[in-house]
Amino acid sequence: MSGRILTGRDHPVDTILHCDVAVVGSGAGGSVLAERLTARGLDVVLLEEGGHWTRASFDGREDHSYPRLYQEMANRATDDQSVLILQGRNVGGGTTVNWCTSFRTPGEVLERWRDQHGVKGLSEEALRPHWEAIEKRLHIAEWPLERMNANNRVLWDGCGKLGYSRGLVRRNVHNCANLGYCGLGCPIDAKMAMGVTLIPDAVEKGMRVQANASVRRLLLGDRRVAGVEAILLDPETDRPTGVTLTVKARTVAVCGGAINSPALLLRSGLDGNGNVGKRFFLHPVVIMSATMPEPVVPWTGAPQAAYSRHFIDRGPGKVGFILEVPPIMPLIAATVFPGTGEEHQALLERLPYIQSTIAICHDGLLPEDVGGTIRLRDPAERRVSIEYPLRPFHFEAFRAACKEMARIQLAAGAREVISLHSVPVRIRRPEDVDAALDAAPWEAGRVRVATAHQMGGCAMGADPRTSVVDSTLRYHGMDNLFVVDGSVFPTSLGVNPQESIFGIARWASQFVAAATA
Amino acid sequence: MDVSRTDPGPAGAALSRRSLIKRGLLGGALLAAGGAGFLALRGGRSVPLPPDGLRVFDPRQFAVLDAVARRMIRPRAGWPTVDEVGVARAADRIAAGVEPSAQKELQQLLGLFENGLASFVFGGRTRPFTLLDGAEQDRVLAEWRDSGLALRRTGYAALRTLVLAGYYQSPSVWPAMGYGGPPAIFSQTGVPVWRGGDVPRPDDNGVWHGEPLQ
Repeated sequence: MSGRILTGRDHPVDTILHCDVAVVGSGAGGSVLAERLTARGLDVVLLEEGGHWTRASFDGREDHSYPRLYQEMANRATDDQSVLILQGRNVGGGTTVNWCTSFRTPGEVLERWRDQHGVKGLSEEALRPHWEAIEKRLHIAEWPLERMNANNRVLWDGCGKLGYSRGLVRRNVHNCANLGYCGLGCPIDAKMAMGVTLIPDAVEKGMRVQANASVRRLLLGDRRVAGVEAILLDPETDRPTGVTLTVKARTVAVCGGAINSPALLLRSGLDGNGNVGKRFFLHPVVIMSATMPEPVVPWTGAPQAAYSRHFIDRGPGKVGFILEVPPIMPLIAATVFPGTGEEHQALLERLPYIQSTIAICHDGLLPEDVGGTIRLRDPAERRVSIEYPLRPFHFEAFRAACKEMARIQLAAGAREVISLHSVPVRIRRPEDVDAALDAAPWEAGRVRVATAHQMGGCAMGADPRTSVVDSTLRYHGMDNLFVVDGSVFPTSLGVNPQESIFGIARWASQFVAAATA
Repeated sequence: MDVSRTDPGPAGAALSRRSLIKRGLLGGALLAAGGAGFLALRGGRSVPLPPDGLRVFDPRQFAVLDAVARRMIRPRAGWPTVDEVGVARAADRIAAGVEPSAQKELQQLLGLFENGLASFVFGGRTRPFTLLDGAEQDRVLAEWRDSGLALRRTGYAALRTLVLAGYYQSPSVWPAMGYGGPPAIFSQTGVPVWRGGDVPRPDDNGVWHGEPLQ
């Protein structure tokens, strides 16, 4: 019998549900896990704080999509506002709004987790069958060079001219029309997001989905969790309806991502010996924007098609980075691009000609890089405290990355390149790059930093004194509580995380199933 | 007394630890006090309120938003005006969607901008922001943006985002940016939404036609 997808309006009174497994969060981790468990015949309830939005409402408008599909209306940020955090919040989570980039976890990252964090059994060999199945189901394939948009061509051509290594991005799309609206929800369901793949696959097999359910706490006993308690939110206003939904389950999997998973554990009184919310990494991103001689129309075409990992290993003591290209839409451009007034408007008038390149910094590898911290504010408050102190090694990498991006953009023909400092640095000639960026202020709140990749906060590892979950993703000291999402990564990845989360969730489904038997 | 002279420049000019601590504490106390305090009660400029009312901000805070919007978005050929878009009203509507605790912080921030005591401590001025002329307002905004105090840079970033979002959320600004809007020809809005139950899953809902995946 088919399951149902319910919203916050479908329960007029307090309700108690019973199931085998309650999965909290429907993003890349929760959806894959929930589908696998359902396929094994388990009765699964998948809870999601955000709404159930589909192509029936994906109209390509930023002002509609950010409040519906993103955490805090796409304006989530660290407490000091120095890092803008783009993160999904809807049925399908980040997979609904990401830019489709699909990388397997680099082998050296898995080896580091094994050697330095005591993670057992999580190897490329163990993950390969899971990656293969996911890649098949989600049609993950390299995006052909001949379909690459002009925006990505700048990175591709610039790297080619400078002799930097470059690659073509693999994407989870099927019959993609190259529209470029991936970040606002694919209007034609060409993106193989969870909401049009594994979630409905599992619903057909009986899984129940509850949207607009904000899980406030785990129902804890001695070494056991008995279920979860959620408040329901109104699908239109996102405010509490006053109805409580309790889900009693034999096993609970927390899959809220690197910010909301630690927050739920902390609200429930689980701090993992002080490790919950620690080692929070976010692939901090810096941006350079170039005025090109011809239009690049940065909002059209597959958003990410070219990348360069040329600078991923910069030697000891330095943070490496990967170069990619972001799509730029008018509203986000206005808030992310620097300045105000005439200068700002003059920049935005040239938007069709502006190409932006991003450097995604591979944080969490240096011994002194312990990352940020997720803490509770008032427990009744949904907003959590997010701290990510920017340190000298970040700024060293930011400066180096901005220089390389400027060189690449100029090599590709840019007339002018600007940094996203609050007072932008302007560069027209390659020979000016070093001096101009060396003179810029590298300090939090003076240069735009953003992230679309949140990792860590519930690190996996062998030692309960230094980690939150074990190598089966089970919370240390609990028999039937798991964390299955990007929060378990002990470091960042150095690649876009969605396929790593898919793979690890699929791999971990065996342990969750075994604990439920 | 011109306290702003001791404010370090953007390039990380030195500020003694002692004065940083003093000013940091003072800044925190002022933010907590928000719009309260005797100097805060000195009247600022009032602006016409939206006919359909305000949801988050009070008329004084609304006037600050309106004043900031007029500096951050300038009259320019091809661009709709601040009044045509109704920027401060739109910012109030955006703020209505954020957590109550974040709303309170925004209210405090706007209060702090207008607060005579805070302006005196930060910049040696006692006049409310809304009564300064345009050039003075630009100077105050730049002081917040470039301040050596992280607290003020944070406040500036929050205010800037709110005001710019209030303007640039409007489709009426698209033509000025060379943006033609979403590709309507592909729009499938309004199609039925599949929610399981007794209704069979439509084939265009991502149904897998390959062999079963183990």
